Amino acid sequence: MGKPMVAKIQIRNLRKVYDTPERRVHALENVNLDIQDGEFLCLVGLSGCGKTTLLNMLAGFVEITAGDILMDGKTLTEDYDKGVVFQEYALFPWRTARRNVEYGLEIRNVAPEERKRIALEHLRLVRLEEFADFYPHNLSGGMRQRVAVARALAFDPQVLLMDEPFGALDAQTREELQELTVDVWQKTKKTVVYVTHNLSEAVYLGNRIVVFIPRPGRIREVITVNIPRPRDPLSSAFIEIQREIDRLIRT
Amino acid sequence: MQHAESVSPPPDFSATKKKVVTIRQRLRPVYPFLVIMLIWQIAAMQAKGNLGQLFPTLDAIAYRAWELITGPLMTALKENPSLGFFDYLYYLYQSPLLWHTFHTAWRLPFSFVLGAIFGVIIGVIMGRFSFWESFFVPLIAVLLPIPALAWVPIAVIWFGLGSQTVIIVTTFATFLPIVMAVWTGVKTVNPVWIRAAQSMNANKMTIFRTVVVPGSLPMILSGFRIGLARAWRAGVGAEAFAGIKWGLSAGIFDAQEFLDIAFMMVALAVLGIFGYLLEKIFFQPIESRTVIKWGMMEAMGGQERKV
Repeated sequence: MGKPMVAKIQIRNLRKVYDTPERRVHALENVNLDIQDGEFLCLVGLSGCGKTTLLNMLAGFVEITAGDILMDGKTLTEDYDKGVVFQEYALFPWRTARRNVEYGLEIRNVAPEERKRIALEHLRLVRLEEFADFYPHNLSGGMRQRVAVARALAFDPQVLLMDEPFGALDAQTREELQELTVDVWQKTKKTVVYVTHNLSEAVYLGNRIVVFIPRPGRIREVITVNIPRPRDPLSSAFIEIQREIDRLIRT
Repeated sequence: MQHAESVSPPPDFSATKKKVVTIRQRLRPVYPFLVIMLIWQIAAMQAKGNLGQLFPTLDAIAYRAWELITGPLMTALKENPSLGFFDYLYYLYQSPLLWHTFHTAWRLPFSFVLGAIFGVIIGVIMGRFSFWESFFVPLIAVLLPIPALAWVPIAVIWFGLGSQTVIIVTTFATFLPIVMAVWTGVKTVNPVWIRAAQSMNANKMTIFRTVVVPGSLPMILSGFRIGLARAWRAGVGAEAFAGIKWGLSAGIFDAQEFLDIAFMMVALAVLGIFGYLLEKIFFQPIESRTVIKWGMMEAMGGQERKV
Protein backbone atom coordinates (compact mmCIF):
# COMPACT_ATOMS: atom_id res chain seq x y z
CA MET A 1 0.00 0.00 0.00
CA GLY A 2 3.03 2.23 -0.42
CA LYS A 3 1.14 4.92 -2.38
CA PRO A 4 0.77 8.16 -0.43
CA MET A 5 -2.92 9.04 -0.49
CA VAL A 6 -5.45 10.63 1.80
CA ALA A 7 -7.15 7.88 3.77
CA LYS A 8 -10.79 7.21 2.93
CA ILE A 9 -11.65 6.84 6.58
CA GLN A 10 -9.57 8.33 9.38
CA ILE A 11 -10.20 7.13 12.91
CA ARG A 12 -8.73 9.44 15.55
CA ASN A 13 -8.44 8.69 19.31
CA LEU A 14 -11.69 6.77 19.21
CA ARG A 15 -13.14 5.70 22.51
CA LYS A 16 -16.26 3.83 23.50
CA VAL A 17 -17.42 3.37 27.07
CA TYR A 18 -20.60 1.57 28.06
CA ASP A 19 -22.02 2.26 31.48
CA THR A 20 -23.89 -0.73 32.80
CA PRO A 21 -25.49 -0.71 36.26
CA GLU A 22 -22.75 -2.98 37.59
CA ARG A 23 -19.69 -1.48 36.04
CA ARG A 24 -18.16 0.64 33.30
CA VAL A 25 -17.06 -1.25 30.19
CA HIS A 26 -14.20 0.13 28.13
CA ALA A 27 -15.15 -1.32 24.78
CA LEU A 28 -12.59 0.71 22.82
CA GLU A 29 -9.70 2.87 23.97
CA ASN A 30 -7.48 5.14 21.91
CA VAL A 31 -8.12 3.64 18.49
CA ASN A 32 -6.24 5.30 15.63
CA LEU A 33 -6.57 3.86 12.17
CA ASP A 34 -6.50 4.96 8.54
CA ILE A 35 -8.57 3.00 6.07
CA GLN A 36 -7.48 3.52 2.46
CA ASP A 37 -9.89 3.87 -0.43
CA GLY A 38 -10.53 0.49 -2.02
CA GLU A 39 -8.70 -1.60 0.54
CA PHE A 40 -9.94 -4.80 2.11
CA LEU A 41 -9.46 -4.41 5.84
CA CYS A 42 -10.10 -7.24 8.27
CA LEU A 43 -10.71 -6.74 11.99
CA VAL A 44 -9.81 -9.76 14.11
CA GLY A 45 -9.60 -10.51 17.80
CA LEU A 46 -11.13 -12.50 20.60
CA SER A 47 -14.72 -11.79 21.60
CA GLY A 48 -15.03 -8.62 23.66
CA CYS A 49 -12.06 -6.96 21.97
CA GLY A 50 -14.17 -4.22 20.39
CA LYS A 51 -13.93 -5.20 16.74
CA THR A 52 -17.70 -5.38 16.30
CA THR A 53 -18.11 -2.17 18.31
CA LEU A 54 -15.84 -0.39 15.84
CA LEU A 55 -17.81 -1.76 12.91
CA ASN A 56 -21.09 -0.68 14.52
CA MET A 57 -19.66 2.81 15.02
CA LEU A 58 -18.67 2.92 11.36
CA ALA A 59 -22.21 1.82 10.51
CA GLY A 60 -23.69 4.51 12.74
CA PHE A 61 -25.46 2.00 15.00
CA VAL A 62 -23.42 2.91 18.08
CA GLU A 63 -22.64 6.39 19.40
CA ILE A 64 -19.10 7.58 19.78
CA THR A 65 -18.02 8.37 23.37
CA ALA A 66 -14.95 10.39 22.36
CA GLY A 67 -12.73 10.86 19.32
CA ASP A 68 -13.55 11.22 15.63
CA ILE A 69 -14.31 9.20 12.57
CA LEU A 70 -13.61 11.18 9.41
CA MET A 71 -14.85 10.10 6.00
CA ASP A 72 -12.98 11.84 3.17
CA GLY A 73 -11.81 14.36 5.76
CA LYS A 74 -15.27 15.17 7.10
CA THR A 75 -16.94 14.01 10.30
CA LEU A 76 -19.05 10.96 9.64
CA THR A 77 -22.74 11.74 9.35
CA GLU A 78 -25.29 9.11 10.24
CA ASP A 79 -26.79 8.98 6.78
CA TYR A 80 -23.69 8.46 4.65
CA ASP A 81 -23.97 5.55 2.21
CA LYS A 82 -22.74 2.32 3.74
CA GLY A 83 -23.64 -1.23 2.86
CA VAL A 84 -23.89 -3.57 5.83
CA VAL A 85 -23.95 -7.37 5.73
CA PHE A 86 -24.98 -8.93 9.03
CA GLN A 87 -24.11 -12.24 10.57
CA GLU A 88 -27.79 -13.11 11.00
CA TYR A 89 -29.98 -13.61 7.97
CA ALA A 90 -31.30 -10.10 7.52
CA LEU A 91 -33.14 -10.41 4.21
CA PHE A 92 -36.78 -9.37 4.24
CA PRO A 93 -38.77 -12.60 3.89
CA TRP A 94 -41.67 -10.80 2.20
CA ARG A 95 -39.53 -9.65 -0.69
CA THR A 96 -38.02 -11.75 -3.45
CA ALA A 97 -34.24 -11.76 -3.84
CA ARG A 98 -34.49 -9.04 -6.49
CA ARG A 99 -36.85 -6.87 -4.45
CA ASN A 100 -34.54 -7.23 -1.45
CA VAL A 101 -31.65 -5.94 -3.54
CA GLU A 102 -33.86 -3.09 -4.73
CA TYR A 103 -34.62 -1.90 -1.19
CA GLY A 104 -31.75 0.57 -0.83
CA LEU A 105 -32.53 1.93 -4.29
CA GLU A 106 -36.17 2.46 -3.34
CA ILE A 107 -35.01 4.50 -0.34
CA ARG A 108 -33.01 6.62 -2.79
CA ASN A 109 -36.02 7.05 -5.10
CA VAL A 110 -34.50 5.29 -8.09
CA ALA A 111 -37.08 4.66 -10.84
CA PRO A 112 -38.52 1.11 -10.95
CA GLU A 113 -37.01 0.09 -14.30
CA GLU A 114 -33.60 1.34 -13.29
CA ARG A 115 -33.93 -0.39 -9.90
CA LYS A 116 -34.67 -3.68 -11.53
CA ARG A 117 -31.73 -3.38 -13.90
CA ILE A 118 -29.29 -2.52 -11.11
CA ALA A 119 -30.64 -5.27 -8.86
CA LEU A 120 -30.26 -7.93 -11.56
CA GLU A 121 -26.77 -6.69 -12.30
CA HIS A 122 -25.80 -7.13 -8.65
CA LEU A 123 -27.44 -10.53 -8.44
CA ARG A 124 -25.32 -11.50 -11.43
CA LEU A 125 -22.29 -10.24 -9.52
CA VAL A 126 -23.00 -12.75 -6.73
CA ARG A 127 -23.95 -15.40 -9.33
CA LEU A 128 -27.61 -15.61 -8.34
CA GLU A 129 -29.30 -14.03 -11.32
CA GLU A 130 -31.50 -17.03 -11.98
CA PHE A 131 -32.82 -16.92 -8.40
CA ALA A 132 -34.03 -13.31 -8.66
CA ASP A 133 -37.68 -14.20 -8.15
CA PHE A 134 -37.14 -16.58 -5.23
CA TYR A 135 -38.25 -15.70 -1.74
CA PRO A 136 -35.46 -15.97 0.86
CA HIS A 137 -36.98 -19.02 2.56
CA ASN A 138 -36.51 -20.97 -0.66
CA LEU A 139 -32.80 -20.13 -0.75
CA SER A 140 -29.99 -21.84 1.16
CA GLY A 141 -28.08 -20.01 3.89
CA GLY A 142 -25.14 -19.29 1.59
CA MET A 143 -27.42 -17.96 -1.13
CA ARG A 144 -29.18 -15.69 1.34
CA GLN A 145 -25.87 -14.13 2.37
CA ARG A 146 -24.96 -13.64 -1.27
CA VAL A 147 -28.24 -11.79 -1.80
CA ALA A 148 -27.39 -9.77 1.32
CA VAL A 149 -24.04 -8.81 -0.24
CA ALA A 150 -25.81 -7.80 -3.45
CA ARG A 151 -28.32 -5.76 -1.44
CA ALA A 152 -25.53 -3.98 0.46
CA LEU A 153 -23.76 -3.03 -2.77
CA ALA A 154 -26.68 -2.16 -5.06
CA PHE A 155 -26.95 1.50 -4.05
CA ASP A 156 -23.21 2.01 -4.60
CA PRO A 157 -22.20 2.75 -0.99
CA GLN A 158 -18.89 4.35 -0.03
CA VAL A 159 -17.92 1.40 2.15
CA LEU A 160 -19.03 -2.17 2.61
CA LEU A 161 -19.18 -3.25 6.25
CA MET A 162 -19.37 -6.99 6.93
CA ASP A 163 -19.89 -8.41 10.41
CA GLU A 164 -18.91 -12.10 10.40
CA PRO A 165 -21.23 -12.58 7.43
CA PHE A 166 -20.38 -16.23 6.85
CA GLY A 167 -20.08 -17.24 10.50
CA ALA A 168 -23.24 -19.33 10.46
CA LEU A 169 -22.37 -21.27 7.30
CA ASP A 170 -20.70 -24.65 6.92
CA ALA A 171 -16.99 -24.73 6.07
CA GLN A 172 -17.44 -25.56 2.39
CA THR A 173 -20.01 -22.87 1.65
CA ARG A 174 -17.89 -20.48 3.64
CA GLU A 175 -14.83 -21.06 1.43
CA GLU A 176 -16.96 -20.58 -1.66
CA LEU A 177 -18.27 -17.29 -0.37
CA GLN A 178 -14.80 -16.07 0.60
CA GLU A 179 -13.67 -16.64 -2.94
CA LEU A 180 -16.79 -14.88 -4.21
CA THR A 181 -16.20 -11.97 -1.82
CA VAL A 182 -12.70 -11.40 -3.19
CA ASP A 183 -14.11 -11.57 -6.71
CA VAL A 184 -16.83 -9.02 -5.89
CA TRP A 185 -14.32 -6.74 -4.16
CA GLN A 186 -11.97 -6.84 -7.14
CA LYS A 187 -14.81 -6.07 -9.55
CA THR A 188 -16.41 -3.28 -7.52
CA LYS A 189 -13.21 -1.79 -5.98
CA LYS A 190 -15.14 -1.01 -2.80
CA THR A 191 -13.57 -0.22 0.55
CA VAL A 192 -14.40 -3.24 2.69
CA VAL A 193 -14.24 -3.50 6.47
CA TYR A 194 -14.70 -7.11 7.47
CA VAL A 195 -15.05 -8.40 11.04
CA THR A 196 -14.18 -12.03 11.71
CA HIS A 197 -12.72 -14.18 14.45
CA ASN A 198 -11.57 -16.73 11.87
CA LEU A 199 -7.87 -15.98 11.27
CA SER A 200 -7.59 -18.04 8.11
CA GLU A 201 -10.52 -16.11 6.68
CA ALA A 202 -8.84 -12.80 7.57
CA VAL A 203 -5.56 -13.80 5.91
CA TYR A 204 -7.39 -15.08 2.85
CA LEU A 205 -9.40 -11.86 2.41
CA GLY A 206 -7.55 -8.88 3.81
CA ASN A 207 -5.02 -6.42 2.41
CA ARG A 208 -4.41 -5.50 6.00
CA ILE A 209 -5.46 -7.12 9.23
CA VAL A 210 -6.14 -5.11 12.37
CA VAL A 211 -5.51 -7.21 15.46
CA PHE A 212 -7.55 -6.20 18.51
CA ILE A 213 -6.99 -7.24 22.12
CA PRO A 214 -9.54 -6.89 24.92
CA ARG A 215 -9.81 -5.15 28.34
CA PRO A 216 -9.83 -2.42 27.26
CA GLY A 217 -10.55 -3.07 23.58
CA ARG A 218 -7.61 -1.64 21.60
CA ILE A 219 -5.48 -2.24 18.53
CA ARG A 220 -2.50 -4.52 19.14
CA GLU A 221 -1.05 -4.31 15.68
CA VAL A 222 -1.88 -3.80 12.03
CA ILE A 223 -0.49 -6.42 9.70
CA THR A 224 -0.12 -6.04 5.95
CA VAL A 225 -0.70 -9.19 3.91
CA ASN A 226 1.39 -9.14 0.77
CA ILE A 227 0.52 -12.59 -0.54
CA PRO A 228 -0.65 -12.42 -4.18
CA ARG A 229 -4.21 -13.49 -4.93
CA PRO A 230 -5.71 -15.99 -5.21
CA ARG A 231 -4.17 -17.01 -1.93
CA ASP A 232 -3.50 -20.59 -1.00
CA PRO A 233 -4.34 -21.23 2.66
CA LEU A 234 -1.84 -24.10 2.68
CA SER A 235 1.15 -22.06 1.49
CA SER A 236 3.91 -21.40 4.03
CA ALA A 237 3.60 -17.59 3.76
CA PHE A 238 -0.12 -17.84 4.50
CA ILE A 239 0.39 -20.08 7.50
CA GLU A 240 3.19 -17.92 8.83
CA ILE A 241 1.02 -14.80 8.91
CA GLN A 242 -1.79 -16.76 10.48
CA ARG A 243 0.57 -17.98 13.19
CA GLU A 244 1.86 -14.46 13.78
CA ILE A 245 -1.66 -13.11 14.28
CA ASP A 246 -2.50 -15.98 16.59
CA ARG A 247 0.52 -15.11 18.70
CA LEU A 248 -0.47 -11.40 18.81
CA ILE A 249 -4.01 -12.18 19.87
CA ARG A 250 -2.87 -14.31 22.77
CA THR A 251 -0.34 -11.92 24.27
CA MET B 1 -13.69 -21.41 -8.83
CA GLN B 2 -16.68 -23.17 -7.32
CA HIS B 3 -20.04 -22.61 -8.87
CA ALA B 4 -21.63 -25.70 -7.43
CA GLU B 5 -24.09 -23.85 -5.26
CA SER B 6 -25.63 -21.79 -8.01
CA VAL B 7 -26.13 -24.83 -10.19
CA SER B 8 -27.85 -27.07 -7.67
CA PRO B 9 -31.57 -26.42 -7.16
CA PRO B 10 -32.69 -24.70 -3.95
CA PRO B 11 -33.64 -27.12 -1.20
CA ASP B 12 -37.32 -26.44 -0.80
CA PHE B 13 -39.87 -25.95 -3.53
CA SER B 14 -42.83 -27.27 -1.60
CA ALA B 15 -44.41 -23.87 -1.02
CA THR B 16 -44.26 -22.88 -4.67
CA LYS B 17 -45.17 -26.23 -6.21
CA LYS B 18 -48.78 -26.64 -7.34
CA LYS B 19 -50.39 -29.61 -5.64
CA VAL B 20 -52.64 -31.91 -7.63
CA VAL B 21 -55.80 -32.61 -5.62
CA THR B 22 -57.97 -35.49 -6.71
CA ILE B 23 -61.76 -35.45 -6.34
CA ARG B 24 -61.45 -38.25 -3.82
CA GLN B 25 -59.22 -36.06 -1.65
CA ARG B 26 -61.53 -33.12 -2.07
CA LEU B 27 -64.49 -35.15 -0.83
CA ARG B 28 -62.69 -36.47 2.23
CA PRO B 29 -63.95 -33.78 4.63
CA VAL B 30 -67.52 -34.47 3.53
CA TYR B 31 -67.60 -38.10 4.77
CA PRO B 32 -67.79 -37.34 8.51
CA PHE B 33 -70.89 -35.23 7.84
CA LEU B 34 -72.50 -38.06 5.87
CA VAL B 35 -71.90 -40.45 8.77
CA ILE B 36 -73.39 -38.06 11.34
CA MET B 37 -76.35 -37.33 9.05
CA LEU B 38 -77.02 -41.01 8.58
CA ILE B 39 -77.02 -41.65 12.32
CA TRP B 40 -79.23 -38.62 12.84
CA GLN B 41 -81.72 -39.76 10.24
CA ILE B 42 -81.98 -43.29 11.65
CA ALA B 43 -82.42 -41.95 15.18
CA ALA B 44 -84.98 -39.34 14.10
CA MET B 45 -87.04 -41.93 12.23
CA GLN B 46 -87.51 -43.82 15.49
CA ALA B 47 -89.06 -40.76 17.15
CA LYS B 48 -92.87 -40.70 17.08
CA GLY B 49 -95.49 -38.05 17.77
CA ASN B 50 -94.37 -35.00 19.78
CA LEU B 51 -90.88 -36.41 19.99
CA GLY B 52 -90.79 -36.38 16.19
CA GLN B 53 -91.29 -32.63 16.22
CA LEU B 54 -88.51 -32.17 18.78
CA PHE B 55 -86.12 -34.41 16.87
CA PRO B 56 -86.98 -33.85 13.20
CA THR B 57 -85.70 -36.00 10.38
CA LEU B 58 -83.33 -34.51 7.81
CA ASP B 59 -86.03 -34.30 5.17
CA ALA B 60 -88.23 -32.38 7.61
CA ILE B 61 -85.39 -29.95 8.27
CA ALA B 62 -84.69 -29.62 4.56
CA TYR B 63 -88.39 -28.96 3.88
CA ARG B 64 -88.44 -26.33 6.63
CA ALA B 65 -85.37 -24.67 5.13
CA TRP B 66 -87.09 -24.61 1.73
CA GLU B 67 -90.21 -23.20 3.31
CA LEU B 68 -88.24 -20.53 5.14
CA ILE B 69 -86.50 -19.44 1.98
CA THR B 70 -89.38 -19.56 -0.50
CA GLY B 71 -92.40 -19.00 1.78
CA PRO B 72 -93.27 -15.40 0.80
CA LEU B 73 -92.47 -16.14 -2.83
CA MET B 74 -94.88 -19.09 -2.95
CA THR B 75 -97.64 -17.06 -1.32
CA ALA B 76 -97.11 -14.29 -3.85
CA LEU B 77 -97.04 -16.75 -6.76
CA LYS B 78 -100.38 -18.16 -5.68
CA GLU B 79 -101.96 -14.71 -5.91
CA ASN B 80 -100.16 -13.64 -9.09
CA PRO B 81 -98.49 -16.42 -11.12
CA SER B 82 -96.82 -14.02 -13.62
CA LEU B 83 -94.09 -12.43 -11.54
CA GLY B 84 -91.11 -10.67 -13.07
CA PHE B 85 -87.46 -11.38 -12.27
CA PHE B 86 -87.17 -8.52 -9.82
CA ASP B 87 -90.37 -9.64 -8.08
CA TYR B 88 -88.74 -13.00 -7.53
CA LEU B 89 -85.74 -11.30 -5.96
CA TYR B 90 -88.01 -9.12 -3.85
CA TYR B 91 -89.99 -12.02 -2.44
CA LEU B 92 -86.89 -14.11 -1.83
CA TYR B 93 -85.59 -11.14 0.05
CA GLN B 94 -88.75 -11.24 2.18
CA SER B 95 -88.01 -14.78 3.34
CA PRO B 96 -87.38 -14.92 7.08
CA LEU B 97 -84.26 -17.08 6.87
CA LEU B 98 -82.50 -14.81 4.38
CA TRP B 99 -83.66 -11.78 6.30
CA HIS B 100 -82.19 -13.22 9.53
CA THR B 101 -78.97 -14.17 7.75
CA PHE B 102 -78.71 -10.80 6.11
CA HIS B 103 -78.91 -8.99 9.44
CA THR B 104 -76.33 -11.16 11.09
CA ALA B 105 -74.17 -10.97 7.99
CA TRP B 106 -73.94 -7.19 7.89
CA ARG B 107 -73.64 -6.56 11.61
CA LEU B 108 -70.77 -8.98 12.08
CA PRO B 109 -68.33 -7.81 9.35
CA PHE B 110 -69.26 -4.19 10.09
CA SER B 111 -68.39 -4.58 13.79
CA PHE B 112 -65.30 -6.64 12.95
CA VAL B 113 -63.93 -4.00 10.61
CA LEU B 114 -64.68 -1.28 13.16
CA GLY B 115 -62.98 -3.24 15.96
CA ALA B 116 -60.04 -4.10 13.72
CA ILE B 117 -59.52 -0.45 12.77
CA PHE B 118 -59.49 0.65 16.42
CA GLY B 119 -57.39 -2.38 17.36
CA VAL B 120 -54.74 -1.70 14.74
CA ILE B 121 -54.55 2.02 15.58
CA ILE B 122 -54.25 1.52 19.35
CA GLY B 123 -51.97 -1.51 18.92
CA VAL B 124 -49.58 0.43 16.69
CA ILE B 125 -49.56 3.39 19.09
CA MET B 126 -48.77 1.00 21.95
CA GLY B 127 -46.00 -0.61 19.96
CA ARG B 128 -44.42 2.72 19.11
CA PHE B 129 -44.80 4.85 22.23
CA SER B 130 -43.83 3.39 25.58
CA PHE B 131 -46.02 5.90 27.43
CA TRP B 132 -49.18 4.60 25.75
CA GLU B 133 -47.93 1.08 26.07
CA SER B 134 -47.75 1.31 29.86
CA PHE B 135 -51.10 3.10 29.84
CA PHE B 136 -53.04 0.52 27.84
CA VAL B 137 -51.41 -2.77 28.79
CA PRO B 138 -52.91 -3.03 32.31
CA LEU B 139 -56.35 -2.02 31.05
CA ILE B 140 -56.36 -4.60 28.29
CA ALA B 141 -54.89 -7.29 30.52
CA VAL B 142 -57.90 -6.88 32.83
CA LEU B 143 -60.52 -6.49 30.10
CA LEU B 144 -59.36 -9.32 27.85
CA PRO B 145 -60.38 -12.26 30.06
CA ILE B 146 -63.94 -10.91 30.52
CA PRO B 147 -66.26 -12.66 28.05
CA ALA B 148 -67.86 -9.99 25.89
CA LEU B 149 -71.27 -11.54 26.53
CA ALA B 150 -71.03 -10.52 30.17
CA TRP B 151 -71.15 -6.89 29.02
CA VAL B 152 -74.45 -7.33 27.21
CA PRO B 153 -76.80 -6.58 30.16
CA ILE B 154 -74.93 -3.36 30.94
CA ALA B 155 -74.69 -2.48 27.25
CA VAL B 156 -78.46 -2.97 26.90
CA ILE B 157 -79.10 -0.53 29.76
CA TRP B 158 -76.63 2.02 28.42
CA PHE B 159 -77.36 1.80 24.73
CA GLY B 160 -80.87 0.41 24.70
CA LEU B 161 -82.35 -2.60 22.94
CA GLY B 162 -81.39 -2.89 19.29
CA SER B 163 -78.70 -3.30 16.70
CA GLN B 164 -76.48 -0.56 18.09
CA THR B 165 -75.92 -2.55 21.27
CA VAL B 166 -75.05 -5.69 19.33
CA ILE B 167 -72.59 -3.69 17.22
CA ILE B 168 -70.96 -2.04 20.22
CA VAL B 169 -70.49 -5.32 22.08
CA THR B 170 -69.17 -7.08 18.96
CA THR B 171 -66.79 -4.26 18.13
CA PHE B 172 -65.46 -4.30 21.66
CA ALA B 173 -65.03 -8.08 21.57
CA THR B 174 -63.08 -7.82 18.30
CA PHE B 175 -60.98 -4.92 19.44
CA LEU B 176 -59.26 -6.47 22.47
CA PRO B 177 -57.48 -9.48 20.95
CA ILE B 178 -56.52 -7.45 17.88
CA VAL B 179 -54.92 -4.75 20.04
CA MET B 180 -52.89 -7.41 21.82
CA ALA B 181 -51.81 -9.07 18.59
CA VAL B 182 -50.88 -5.85 16.79
CA TRP B 183 -48.98 -4.58 19.81
CA THR B 184 -47.07 -7.87 20.16
CA GLY B 185 -46.47 -8.02 16.41
CA VAL B 186 -45.07 -4.51 16.21
CA LYS B 187 -42.88 -5.06 19.28
CA THR B 188 -41.47 -8.38 18.15
CA VAL B 189 -40.49 -7.59 14.57
CA ASN B 190 -37.05 -9.11 14.07
CA PRO B 191 -34.65 -6.28 15.08
CA VAL B 192 -32.11 -7.31 12.44
CA TRP B 193 -34.62 -6.39 9.69
CA ILE B 194 -34.97 -2.96 11.21
CA ARG B 195 -31.20 -2.55 11.47
CA ALA B 196 -30.82 -3.65 7.86
CA ALA B 197 -33.32 -1.00 6.77
CA GLN B 198 -31.61 1.62 8.96
CA SER B 199 -28.24 0.74 7.47
CA MET B 200 -29.68 1.61 4.06
CA ASN B 201 -30.79 4.97 5.48
CA ALA B 202 -34.53 4.29 5.55
CA ASN B 203 -36.30 6.83 7.76
CA LYS B 204 -38.66 5.88 10.60
CA MET B 205 -41.82 6.23 8.56
CA THR B 206 -40.41 4.14 5.71
CA ILE B 207 -39.20 1.48 8.13
CA PHE B 208 -42.65 1.33 9.63
CA ARG B 209 -44.33 0.98 6.25
CA THR B 210 -41.86 -1.39 4.59
CA VAL B 211 -40.53 -3.43 7.53
CA VAL B 212 -42.72 -3.24 10.63
CA VAL B 213 -46.03 -3.76 8.83
CA PRO B 214 -45.06 -6.79 6.71
CA GLY B 215 -42.81 -8.09 9.49
CA SER B 216 -45.63 -8.19 12.00
CA LEU B 217 -48.23 -9.46 9.53
CA PRO B 218 -48.22 -13.06 10.84
CA MET B 219 -49.10 -11.82 14.33
CA ILE B 220 -51.62 -9.31 13.02
CA LEU B 221 -53.40 -11.93 10.91
CA SER B 222 -53.60 -14.34 13.80
CA GLY B 223 -55.00 -11.47 15.87
CA PHE B 224 -57.65 -10.88 13.20
CA ARG B 225 -58.52 -14.54 13.29
CA ILE B 226 -59.00 -14.54 17.06
CA GLY B 227 -60.80 -11.21 16.79
CA LEU B 228 -63.23 -12.62 14.26
CA ALA B 229 -63.86 -15.72 16.36
CA ARG B 230 -64.58 -13.53 19.36
CA ALA B 231 -66.74 -11.17 17.32
CA TRP B 232 -68.73 -14.10 16.04
CA ARG B 233 -69.40 -15.46 19.53
CA ALA B 234 -70.17 -12.07 21.05
CA GLY B 235 -72.33 -10.94 18.14
CA VAL B 236 -74.40 -14.09 18.04
CA GLY B 237 -74.86 -14.01 21.81
CA ALA B 238 -75.67 -10.32 21.96
CA GLU B 239 -78.33 -10.70 19.25
CA ALA B 240 -80.26 -13.03 21.48
CA PHE B 241 -80.36 -10.66 24.46
CA ALA B 242 -80.54 -7.26 22.83
CA GLY B 243 -84.22 -7.67 22.01
CA ILE B 244 -83.85 -7.48 18.27
CA LYS B 245 -86.15 -9.22 15.83
CA TRP B 246 -83.76 -10.06 13.01
CA GLY B 247 -80.55 -12.03 13.20
CA LEU B 248 -79.89 -15.75 13.09
CA SER B 249 -79.49 -16.28 16.79
CA ALA B 250 -82.32 -13.89 17.61
CA GLY B 251 -84.34 -16.16 15.35
CA ILE B 252 -83.10 -19.25 17.16
CA PHE B 253 -84.18 -17.84 20.51
CA ASP B 254 -87.60 -16.94 19.12
CA ALA B 255 -87.97 -20.39 17.63
CA GLN B 256 -87.36 -21.89 21.05
CA GLU B 257 -90.75 -20.49 22.12
CA PHE B 258 -92.48 -22.45 19.37
CA LEU B 259 -90.31 -25.57 19.69
CA ASP B 260 -89.40 -25.00 16.04
CA ILE B 261 -86.37 -27.31 16.16
CA ALA B 262 -86.15 -27.47 12.38
CA PHE B 263 -85.75 -23.72 12.15
CA MET B 264 -83.12 -23.78 14.89
CA MET B 265 -81.18 -26.50 13.10
CA VAL B 266 -81.33 -24.62 9.80
CA ALA B 267 -80.16 -21.39 11.43
CA LEU B 268 -77.32 -23.21 13.20
CA ALA B 269 -76.25 -24.73 9.90
CA VAL B 270 -76.24 -21.28 8.29
CA LEU B 271 -74.13 -19.93 11.17
CA GLY B 272 -71.65 -22.77 10.70
CA ILE B 273 -71.44 -22.34 6.93
CA PHE B 274 -71.10 -18.59 7.31
CA GLY B 275 -68.15 -18.92 9.71
CA TYR B 276 -66.52 -21.51 7.51
CA LEU B 277 -66.86 -19.32 4.42
CA LEU B 278 -65.37 -16.33 6.23
CA GLU B 279 -62.34 -18.47 7.02
CA LYS B 280 -62.16 -19.81 3.45
CA ILE B 281 -62.74 -16.63 1.50
CA PHE B 282 -61.13 -14.16 3.87
CA PHE B 283 -58.26 -15.58 5.91
CA GLN B 284 -56.92 -18.43 3.84
CA PRO B 285 -56.39 -16.43 0.62
CA ILE B 286 -54.73 -13.60 2.54
CA GLU B 287 -52.45 -16.01 4.35
CA SER B 288 -51.49 -18.08 1.37
CA ARG B 289 -50.68 -14.94 -0.60
CA THR B 290 -48.58 -13.41 2.16
CA VAL B 291 -47.13 -15.09 5.22
CA ILE B 292 -47.27 -18.65 3.85
CA LYS B 293 -45.68 -17.62 0.55
CA TRP B 294 -42.98 -15.77 2.45
CA GLY B 295 -42.21 -18.77 4.64
CA MET B 296 -43.09 -16.81 7.76
CA MET B 297 -45.56 -19.32 9.17
CA GLU B 298 -42.89 -21.87 10.18
CA ALA B 299 -41.09 -19.12 12.03
CA MET B 300 -44.27 -18.56 14.02
CA GLY B 301 -44.51 -22.25 14.89
CA GLY B 302 -47.60 -22.61 12.72
CA GLN B 303 -48.49 -25.59 10.58
CA GLU B 304 -50.08 -26.05 7.25
CA ARG B 305 -53.79 -26.56 7.62
CA LYS B 306 -55.36 -29.76 6.37
CA VAL B 307 -58.81 -28.50 5.41
